[in-house]
Amino acid sequence: MSKDTSKAPRRGRTQWGDLAVRWSFMLPTIVLLILVLAYPIWYTIEISFSSFDMMTFGAGEWVGWENYAWVVDDYRFWESLWVTLVYLIWALPIQIILGFGIAYMINAPWRGRGLLRALFIIPMVVAPVVAGGIWRMLLDPIWGVINWVFGLVGLGPFDWFGDPNLAMATIVIIDTWRWTPFIVLIATAALLALPRDVFEAAKIDGAGRWATLWSVALPLLAPVIAATFVIRWLGAVKMFDIVLASTLGGPGKSTSVINLFIYEEAFRSLNFAESAAMAMIVLVLTMLLTGVFLIGSRKLETMH
Amino acid sequence: MTSSNTNAPKIRRRRRSFSHGARIAGAIFVSLLFLFPVFWMILTSFKTQVDIFTTPPKLFFEATTATYVEYFSRADIPQRLLNTVIVATGAGILSIVVGTLSGYALARIRLRGAATFGVLILMSRGVPPIALAVPMFLVARNMGLTDKHITLILAYCTFLIPYVMWLMRSFFVSLPKELEESAMIDGCSRFGAFFKIIVPISMPGILSTLIFSIILAWEELLFALVLTSRDAVTIPVAIAGIAGDTETGANWAALTAVGTVTVIPVVIFALLVQKWLIQGLADGATKG
Repeated sequence: MSKDTSKAPRRGRTQWGDLAVRWSFMLPTIVLLILVLAYPIWYTIEISFSSFDMMTFGAGEWVGWENYAWVVDDYRFWESLWVTLVYLIWALPIQIILGFGIAYMINAPWRGRGLLRALFIIPMVVAPVVAGGIWRMLLDPIWGVINWVFGLVGLGPFDWFGDPNLAMATIVIIDTWRWTPFIVLIATAALLALPRDVFEAAKIDGAGRWATLWSVALPLLAPVIAATFVIRWLGAVKMFDIVLASTLGGPGKSTSVINLFIYEEAFRSLNFAESAAMAMIVLVLTMLLTGVFLIGSRKLETMH
Repeated sequence: MTSSNTNAPKIRRRRRSFSHGARIAGAIFVSLLFLFPVFWMILTSFKTQVDIFTTPPKLFFEATTATYVEYFSRADIPQRLLNTVIVATGAGILSIVVGTLSGYALARIRLRGAATFGVLILMSRGVPPIALAVPMFLVARNMGLTDKHITLILAYCTFLIPYVMWLMRSFFVSLPKELEESAMIDGCSRFGAFFKIIVPISMPGILSTLIFSIILAWEELLFALVLTSRDAVTIPVAIAGIAGDTETGANWAALTAVGTVTVIPVVIFALLVQKWLIQGLADGATKG
């Protein structure tokens, strides 16, 4: 900033007005985001290092790392981080593989292709809380239509919400239904953009289907897959609505993802200081991992 | 593709068209599978309690609009729908105005330090919303701002402005530079060139981005749950309440009826701008 002021007079007085005009494009965004984004984060940091004062309903006296120590000692915090990790490890690969597979099928050239692609937008815009609700109905152990279909072929009934492992599967299924279409749409565009001649050449060289997929298509798609992964990761770490509307974190704590856990600690147990500390830990973890993924995807891009 | 098909020998063409047919059949089957939950939701919303709780599940039944009449003649649901409309459009319009300006600045205006802000704002996508919801609740409570539309509108700016800014930035980058250069040579000011030349040309992109922003705000749950209690409660909060109400048993009729009303307008809007949506997604993944 100070550099600007020292340079501006040399360019003449009219430049000042121009500089103001230039910045006025950027200024509303900066002011608003400082107000609603930067200030709340700063306040979270402050609370996380303070005791919570119930009288003023704000940050009390400075307690240093006490809240963080409390959180790190809390096994429930680690448990819900683990639950979140399990969800991510299942959901992200399943969604990316399914998304690209479906995109390949959908890209078969025929008249209805555009229509099918448009229809895939529908699950994407169903509010996550509605998605959670309707899947709870579909998967109901007694009246749900899905258990009925399984029953027709002699399977089940499955207790989708009562068994801890199945409840995690339920969350992954709902999330996959809601988000795979998003990947399908990205993947259809990416597949259409693949250069045709490379595949023709592979065919002439006598490469089989799997060889073509493995050593021609996948390397070409790697940057897009990496980018899709990063976008999807940033959405998935915020997982909250679907769990709240379907399993409510249960049975027990088996699907209590970290955001739900922090939410309940803050707004049900009123442990605001500890929640702030947990939110800061999650924020730092997310930023670090996002950085790692971004560097990884850049590497993939430069490799090819 | 088709031309190489017709030139190919007959026997190969038949084999190709078999796998081609299998691909199309698979595509249709998977699409139907993905649409089924929405279809079943709409179907269930027109059933009576007796038809809902029965096995085997009924595909054909006597349709009734009783649930819709019951829930939309009650005071709370229409009020919540109205709240959602106010908050979603308010947040969408505020973010599109502010985010289009800064997206243009990042794409076209040489500004020392602006790129740093751009990257910082992009990084904010990694901030967990709960880290914002806790302080927002505390500040809003102390300032008497809870349960007000404006509070939610401002809260939604935290994710909408970065979204709009980066989408519009990539849109403006793709426009030819000569557009505003010639306008500014003709004596237009920077603002003049932006509002008279750039904005009208970008209207399709701006409107589509506005629609996505409204959709994102329309479905938001966490901030609405935390920042509203009675007067400004939105539809997602109401749905979470219906879905989580296990004491009276599963109220599927209410859930599906309110869910249908929430989803249908969004689906219509999304289908209207689907071309742009797919393009934007693809660009975001390949260039971002």
